[in-house]
Amino acid sequence: MKFGYTSWLPQTDLMVKFTEALKQGKLMGTKCKKCGEKYLPPRAHCRCGSHEVEWYEAPTRGKLFSYTLVTFPPDSMTKYAPYIVAVAELEDGSRLLAHITGVSPKTLQVGLPVQVVPHQISEDRIAYKFKPEQTTV
Amino acid sequence: MECFCLTQKVGVVGIGHAKFGKRTDATIRELAHEATIPALEDVGITTADIDASVIGVANEALAAQVSPGALLQDYAGLGNKPMFRVEAACATGSAGVQTAWSLIKAGLAEVVMVIGAETMTHVGAPVATEWMARACDTRWEYPFGITFPGSYALMATRHMHEFGTTRMQLSMVSVKSHKYGAMNPYAHLQKEVTLEEAMKSVPICQPLNLYDCCLISDGAAAAILASEEKAKKITDTPVWITGLGSASDTMMISERPSLTGLVASRLAAEQAYKMARVTPNDIDVACTHDCFSIAEIMSYEDLGFCKKGEGGKFIEEEQSYIGGEVPTNVDGGLKSKGHPLGATGVSMTVEITRQLRGEAGKRQVNGAQIGLTHNVGETGQYCFVHIYTR
Repeated sequence: MKFGYTSWLPQTDLMVKFTEALKQGKLMGTKCKKCGEKYLPPRAHCRCGSHEVEWYEAPTRGKLFSYTLVTFPPDSMTKYAPYIVAVAELEDGSRLLAHITGVSPKTLQVGLPVQVVPHQISEDRIAYKFKPEQTTV
Repeated sequence: MECFCLTQKVGVVGIGHAKFGKRTDATIRELAHEATIPALEDVGITTADIDASVIGVANEALAAQVSPGALLQDYAGLGNKPMFRVEAACATGSAGVQTAWSLIKAGLAEVVMVIGAETMTHVGAPVATEWMARACDTRWEYPFGITFPGSYALMATRHMHEFGTTRMQLSMVSVKSHKYGAMNPYAHLQKEVTLEEAMKSVPICQPLNLYDCCLISDGAAAAILASEEKAKKITDTPVWITGLGSASDTMMISERPSLTGLVASRLAAEQAYKMARVTPNDIDVACTHDCFSIAEIMSYEDLGFCKKGEGGKFIEEEQSYIGGEVPTNVDGGLKSKGHPLGATGVSMTVEITRQLRGEAGKRQVNGAQIGLTHNVGETGQYCFVHIYTR
């Protein structure tokens, strides 16, 4: 399973595990066993130099930190445009960049509560995306 | 060679600039030639007097030549001399200037030619955007179709949210760029635009529209640097590089604590000011990295020309115009002059040298003594700040 709308990188062990968990609806980050630093998206190695990291399940609720409506895409993304690229801050303070759907660009605003959900782009491609948090009446 | 290098200054002694634009008449070799020959003539020396060269080309796919340094070295007639090719994305040219400065300071060379060159227009805007987008993290951010305008749009959204920067203030940057670009014979787009035209142009990555974005251009620039002793022998108008700074930042922009400024700009500026023993108040003229209107607004703040959050007000009050507090990008900037990636940093050096020599014509900042260049690569993964004095 490849990650994202457009990419060509080889499938490393980290990406296989990450995308398998994502398919099950779990957003996984890695934590350094030596210094405790957490990474979302995950890394196989810590910036402290350690290669011993363990998986943890990251929160999937957060708030919109910034966004842009992309109307002039790079060549490889033409068929998906226009799309909204957003950065969301999750409950533990970590941030992710992804598309947001299910919301009109005109009503978007910083601080909007969002959820991170898996998004099966095609048979062999998966990503996460943001959607406005469902409010229960 | 006797080594006076540690106590000697390093100066810019010769400058040359190709016409920036959509140059269907030239490939990267002819463009570089168009810059190097005037640089040699400017100081009255030949390639025989050059000890080494530093060549900046950011993207091999856009250059349509792998190892473009070798090509430009040979085409310029620099033959068997030591040559370094540098790459620092959009800050490639300034990485070249800093490398040349270091070679001279280290005593490895007395006279160094810096060439910055890029071709971009031949692939068209979507493909050029694609190649630049691949400079974003290719595992986690590029796969979402984020582009450079997109990355800076995320910063603009945040800057508007936190500080109330307005759509109109963004467009005011473009109006200024075009006003001065119209007076620069080397600029890509030599025409003025009205505030209304700038505000109503086609959306690219909201809130940024076409007039908030720099041009995709072909071009080249060259600067010859020399040790103090040598400079004094070959020119009466050396411009000294008295402060240098450089810094980096995270590959993923989503990892940064703030999106309203560039940490690398602040760190590089601090180093350069300290080394040159000047403050932002001393800067008479600046070339800052205005790849997007929001980038110029953030540069005012990151370089200390105004307080954090007041960049919008700074342009609205015309403090970056000639006659204002710090005339900025009065050569048209990346926006109107154009941004052929590898050429840009060298072009900034050329402009500041012209200004400090008093040779900028209609765009001259009268009595300019101290100048600054600020060149950002990617979204602040590279940054170089240089300070120049007469």
